[in-house]
Amino acid sequence: MAVSNRRQAISRFLVFAFVPLSIFTLVLIVPFVRGIYFTFRDWDGFGSTKWVGFDNYVAVFHDDKFWHSLWLTLGYVLATVVITNLVAFGLALLVTMPMRGMHALRTVFFVPNLIGGVILGLVWQFLFSKVIPQLPFFSSNWLLETNKAFWALVIVTVWQMSGYMMIVYVTALMSVNPEVLEASTIDGATGFRQMLYIKIPLIAPAFTISLFLTMRNAFMAYDLNLALTNGNPYNSTELMSLHVYREAFTRLDFATGQAQAVVMFIVVAAAALVQVVISKRFEVQA
Amino acid sequence: MRKTRWVATLAAASLVLVACGDDDSGSTSGTATDQTGGSGECTSPTEITWLGTIKIEIQDQFKAAIADYNATNTDCVKVTVIDTAQGEAFLQTVTPMYEAGKAPTIMTALQELPNMADKVMDWTGQPLADLAAPGTLDVANIDGKQVGIPITAEAFGLLYNKAVLDAASVDPASIATRSDLAAALDAIAASGPAGVHFSGLWWSLGAHFTNIYHANSADTAEGRMAILDQLKAGTYDLMSDQAFLDWLDTFDLLKADTIDTATISDDDYNVGVEDLASGDAGTWFMGNWAEPNLLEATPDGEFGVMPVAISDTEGAYGNDSISVGVPFYMMIDQEQSTPEQRAAAISVITWFLTTPEGQAHWAGPIESNGMSFIPVYDGFTVTPSTYMAARIAEYIADGKTLQWVNSAYPAGLQECYGTATQKYYDSVSDRETLAKDMEACWVA
Repeated sequence: MAVSNRRQAISRFLVFAFVPLSIFTLVLIVPFVRGIYFTFRDWDGFGSTKWVGFDNYVAVFHDDKFWHSLWLTLGYVLATVVITNLVAFGLALLVTMPMRGMHALRTVFFVPNLIGGVILGLVWQFLFSKVIPQLPFFSSNWLLETNKAFWALVIVTVWQMSGYMMIVYVTALMSVNPEVLEASTIDGATGFRQMLYIKIPLIAPAFTISLFLTMRNAFMAYDLNLALTNGNPYNSTELMSLHVYREAFTRLDFATGQAQAVVMFIVVAAAALVQVVISKRFEVQA
Repeated sequence: MRKTRWVATLAAASLVLVACGDDDSGSTSGTATDQTGGSGECTSPTEITWLGTIKIEIQDQFKAAIADYNATNTDCVKVTVIDTAQGEAFLQTVTPMYEAGKAPTIMTALQELPNMADKVMDWTGQPLADLAAPGTLDVANIDGKQVGIPITAEAFGLLYNKAVLDAASVDPASIATRSDLAAALDAIAASGPAGVHFSGLWWSLGAHFTNIYHANSADTAEGRMAILDQLKAGTYDLMSDQAFLDWLDTFDLLKADTIDTATISDDDYNVGVEDLASGDAGTWFMGNWAEPNLLEATPDGEFGVMPVAISDTEGAYGNDSISVGVPFYMMIDQEQSTPEQRAAAISVITWFLTTPEGQAHWAGPIESNGMSFIPVYDGFTVTPSTYMAARIAEYIADGKTLQWVNSAYPAGLQECYGTATQKYYDSVSDRETLAKDMEACWVA
């Protein structure tokens, strides 16, 4: 009986998981392992002939431009994660207030997320270069100045991501048990205090997931980077993914580029783990 | 009921897969090139592939030529053009194809020649290689192996609008020094239009404008390459090279005289075309690949090309010459192709370069669906007849050509040079910083 149950369980698992699992293995696990293998070889994009030990990683650590793009990416992650979540949470509070047109607003805020990164980049490139310089206070094209181009990237990312994160927060806010809120009101908690001590702790899982998603997106940013600034001006806005791509396909250092990708993976994985562990601590049971 | 739904889902899924498959083959076969060999007895033609369309500007003409070949050839060959995404790096396209065992038969590239050297056929001793003009094979000769043969020659320098120069009574042939060039630009400006449109495009600055320095850096090829070797070793000081300082003076001159002001927002190729074609600017630093665009904008215009003088000494090396070189080489895969396929690849290229029909497609004018390539092979009866092509032919005949040292730039260098020169062009770096940035490009 137990055996047949077990067999049933396995076959049921396979029915549902076999196809996705094999696709996952083929398109993620296999290339990932092969990628790591190539970082220890003299890979030239076509094939490899010998082991080179840690030479490729040593090359990565000696590449100033890689460090520049790594620090730039960390700054970009910090800026977009903080601003996106603040904006998204603010919007979520706004659209959960009882008011007219609330549903329409939710849709409007969500729409930027439906536009693909490349199109978004091109649209904003037009805005930054042709429209915004005509406005008062913005006499220049932000995309042509090293510091402002970075903030242009941040602004567009926040604009794109906020609507999506807003939905996560809206769902969480609406699932807060009204009885708890009512009890707190009876206890004398109002407005800000209620939000700080009741709502926010109760929706902490939403923060965990939103922070994780925004962080991951920021680390992986590529299409927007390519379409909006293309690393310009003078390579000052070349985020990590774009740098890795160019190392491999423009400078033709395939093995070094791959080693950079692995370093990038380790950085992202470490950051994500730390973030999830910390966020989990703040989660409470109602 | 439940079962039928399963079946329907499966059927739908397989349809999607089939559709994807179709899509794939659609993108590799192209549309205009699907006809099989023309001769009646040829039932199973040798199928080969040609990666890319050489240049995006003439892709329709190229596909028409291949369709013509497929329909008329007696070699029993069918060529399929593989479209590539615009802006996709050559090796990004090629490496997965090799990995998948579907390497293209014919490929065209320049900077990636060393990467391809061990995978492609040696052209040494082939009749076509023997027909190539002297000097045009050098860049593609890697350690004694002739990796590719040239497609065409291109030239760059200061393109000019003859009508504007005539109106300002400027004779391009009389410009012998940088001072002469400055006087000519002033004369144009005095007659109304801007003296020059100096584009801030990274590739124009990084590959072509930096070549003006490197090509003038020594009067022998050995001397120029020796400087590259020293730069690689990190031992060359650009600021103590007179040619570099001269080049910077001309850089400053063009920057100062360009239409509007020099900022990197001036990175639209089409604006350059418009300015020169309409006569808003008298000259434009660009190459002959722009001529079809210029003639499209102003069909009855005459556009020539003249040297970019950097030395202020009359008769100095290079002052009277334009940069002429080969932009792409044709390679034939030998790793994943059969001997029949390689023979077929040679026969289609032979058709292009030696038969009247092929030559008409290769070098004929754009208006009559030709690709307007300047031929670099013996025995061409068709030659481009435009004003600029005639000027270039004169420079070549007089031996007034500068080397494309940029063909010898290692991968990634022209991008790095592009960044460095854009900073200078944008006035955010000074001469010393530019020299340091350019030196750093070699050592990194």
